[in-house]
Amino acid sequence: MLDVKKVRGGNGLDPIGAEVDEILASAEEAARVATKSFFDSFQTDPNPAALATWLETRVWREIDYVYLLNDQIRRYGMRLQRKHITLLAKQSFQEAEHYEDLGRVLENLGGTVPTAVPAQAQEWSDWLWDCMGRHHLAGIAAWYVSETSASGSFEPTFEGCGRHGYTDVVKCYKQIEIDEKFHTGLGRQILSTYTQTDEDRAEILRAMRGMQKIAWKTFTPENVAASMAARATPAAAAN
Amino acid sequence: MCAEPSVLDNIETTHSLQVLQTTTESDSVVSLELGTSDGRPMPEWQPGAHIDVMLANGLVRQYSLCGNYADRSRWRIAVLRDPSSRGGSQFIHASVRTGQRIQVAGPRNHFPLIAAERYLFIAGGIGITPILPMLQKASETGTPWTLVYGGRSRSSMAFLDNIRRYDSGNVFLIPQDECGHIDLERFLSRLRPQTAVYCCGPGPLIDAVETVCQTFPPAALHRERFSPRQRTEVADDGSFEVMLAKSGRVIQVAAGESLLSALEDAGYKVTNSCRAGICGTCLLNVLGGTPDHQDDLLSDDQRESGTMILPCVSRCKSSQLILDL
Repeated sequence: MLDVKKVRGGNGLDPIGAEVDEILASAEEAARVATKSFFDSFQTDPNPAALATWLETRVWREIDYVYLLNDQIRRYGMRLQRKHITLLAKQSFQEAEHYEDLGRVLENLGGTVPTAVPAQAQEWSDWLWDCMGRHHLAGIAAWYVSETSASGSFEPTFEGCGRHGYTDVVKCYKQIEIDEKFHTGLGRQILSTYTQTDEDRAEILRAMRGMQKIAWKTFTPENVAASMAARATPAAAAN
Repeated sequence: MCAEPSVLDNIETTHSLQVLQTTTESDSVVSLELGTSDGRPMPEWQPGAHIDVMLANGLVRQYSLCGNYADRSRWRIAVLRDPSSRGGSQFIHASVRTGQRIQVAGPRNHFPLIAAERYLFIAGGIGITPILPMLQKASETGTPWTLVYGGRSRSSMAFLDNIRRYDSGNVFLIPQDECGHIDLERFLSRLRPQTAVYCCGPGPLIDAVETVCQTFPPAALHRERFSPRQRTEVADDGSFEVMLAKSGRVIQVAAGESLLSALEDAGYKVTNSCRAGICGTCLLNVLGGTPDHQDDLLSDDQRESGTMILPCVSRCKSSQLILDL
């Protein structure tokens, strides 16, 4: 398997390359551990509603990426080579496909496809958009970490869902796994190509470090339990 | 050999078979009879089928099945000792012996015998191999046929005894040292309607047959080459030819067309995502030819190895690319 972190492009990340790779590795591992933890918990109580809740924030990420990528093009696109505008648009299209496909899976599990930021994804979404507003490369840096962290979740997801016969989830994530190679490769290439100044690098590291602290959180069983409890509370009060 | 595509079959069935017998069929051709060690019946096949033979030296070669297609106890292939061999035929002649096991995949058939009112079979050299079971089939169905079989010399022409069994005045043997080249005009110019022409042999023979048959209905001529059409230079317009080693298929990649698209159009599913040389998910192994790397991902060492390519953007510097597909 080829390593998309080594994609060709400029050398703008070279001074911070080691730290960037360390952040990515750490984010990926944190997501792997959190996902494994969720499916270990799911193994003891395989409630489809829990899996649906776990997927909910992930479904939201897909559509939030669509908004973000289109805004990236709208706000900063004229600083980019035309091929990068095309590739960002292509990524946006694929994220929309993921939103649709994962949404269908979520509905099959009895869940509801989010049309607004779920509470558990609020911190993640806020950080993404905060970075986007600050700097022309910071939004990309944040989603680069977020997408890379998702890579860590694939194997535990395949294993955990496969064990319980959720083949549609596995199939969906198999395609997402393929597309994530493109997305993370593109993120790296854009950052390497357009990063020029120390200020650029500082903003990129800020965005990446911030996302590193957040990205894994929605994968945990605790996060899922909190979401389910929050949903149950108003209903209980109504009774 | 390069097969005329008619049946696309990507499903690989691999068998470990034993060499039951080797037979010298001419001064440069040896046949191998292959079977299961426990006597289980072999998969069915029809005339025109071939198998992939995975040799111990790592090479994969395609050979036509040339035995009795009704006999499920054994398959027969025949191998020409080719001085210009890239390792396949030399290896078999030097190293394969009775009792050895070899891995094969298939059979597959890209050269099937269609129903016709009559047949004209034209074989050159080892190109007789896919034709042999066709003679059997045509004889069994009572379909009239004519065979024109050429070779360097009578001693180089394999399976003459088999062929004589079918001969009722419809077999024309043309050893070049006695008769010169096959007079194609003689056999093709007065062809009766509804005759299917089957041709297998070296490239120049097939090129000549194609030239004579230019005015024939498109479905009348069926041919199978030992090797892809030889192109001596890269076309000026950037088009090139791809040979798929596992099936022997040859695909033309037009100027402006991506290799990945050409493979997809030919029915091959290749994992991909970006189609821009970034994600690496469409990576394919290269067995021959010189890739023209246009991607953004392969390292210098990977590029220089010449063993891999990202077909979404990369092309070919040589006239032909051979893929492990």
